[in-house]
Amino acid sequence: MKSNNIAHQRALQLIAQARVEGIPDTDRNWLRTHLEECDFCAEHARRTDRALRMLRTATISLPEGLASRTQFRVRLRAQELREREPRRRALWLACSLSWLFGVASAPYVWSLFQWLGQRTGVPKLVWEVGFGLWWSIPALFAVAVLLMESSRKGEQADWINQGS
Amino acid sequence: MPGLTLFFSTLMADETRTIARGLQRRDPDLLDRLIEQYQYRLFRYLVYITGNKERAEDFFQETWIRVLERGHQYNGKSKFEAWLFAIARNLVIDWQRSKKAQSLDTLTDPEQEHPLQLANENEPSPLRQVLSHETEENVQASLQKIPAIYREVLVLRFQEELQIDEMAGVLSIPLSTVKSRLYRGLEALRGALQGGAG
Repeated sequence: MKSNNIAHQRALQLIAQARVEGIPDTDRNWLRTHLEECDFCAEHARRTDRALRMLRTATISLPEGLASRTQFRVRLRAQELREREPRRRALWLACSLSWLFGVASAPYVWSLFQWLGQRTGVPKLVWEVGFGLWWSIPALFAVAVLLMESSRKGEQADWINQGS
Repeated sequence: MPGLTLFFSTLMADETRTIARGLQRRDPDLLDRLIEQYQYRLFRYLVYITGNKERAEDFFQETWIRVLERGHQYNGKSKFEAWLFAIARNLVIDWQRSKKAQSLDTLTDPEQEHPLQLANENEPSPLRQVLSHETEENVQASLQKIPAIYREVLVLRFQEELQIDEMAGVLSIPLSTVKSRLYRGLEALRGALQGGAG
């Protein structure tokens, strides 16, 4: 009785395993023999196959014009990206040049800040922080441009969503 | 037979490489073709995971926009549909997070009181409304009884016929989790169909 239960449990497990990830030939042969002898497990296997067949053949109706509407939106966005590409490239170029110039001119700018600090009498820490901030100006500028761009993109996306 | 397998795998690898190159160029003709080619499968997947036709339609469009924008990230080494479904799924999860600050998994956890999109149990759900037009109404009505977390793996495995490792990539979960969800999903499917058809 107990060995029968173990056999059923093994069979049910193999039925699922065969459909989910496959089973080795030895298990397959054992299962085949068991299913020939056991009506309960054979019925379980049939129900599993029937459920999977129904899932595989289940259909859903597509909304009318879904593909063409999507193609239209994608083309619009592609055009927008193409138009933005040169501006983005110019921004990167400007940032790179600005950094290069910053590196090259760093000793002079440092001297300038030092001189200004001495002339105005501000503490050393203040003009050193000022020098650091001077370096972050190109990055801040780039971030501002990118933020402006993304906010414009957001507005446009809302407009497109309302229209679709 | 191995020769034929090799032939088809080479053909598929060529196809995915062509898609990857086209996506890097943002080739509009390629995108048009892909939208046509995958519209049914993507839409079906989205309907199953969102449970709502209108929402699935919005996500369908957003997915293709994302494909255009992030096309350069597709390397052509995996199946295109696996990458496509991963993008679609991430969009749905982002949307869910922005709404409820939770992941799709927690929202659709069968242990939770309200699985995804079941707003009013007395009225037919949007998924049921969509599917009730179909000839296999019974099957579909039964399918919606299955928690979305299991419905999703069943769809990916038995409708989309993705391999388990590909599914792990799409869902960003370990192989063992994919398998356990599949086993539980299969059990739930059999139970739901037995109940629905009976």
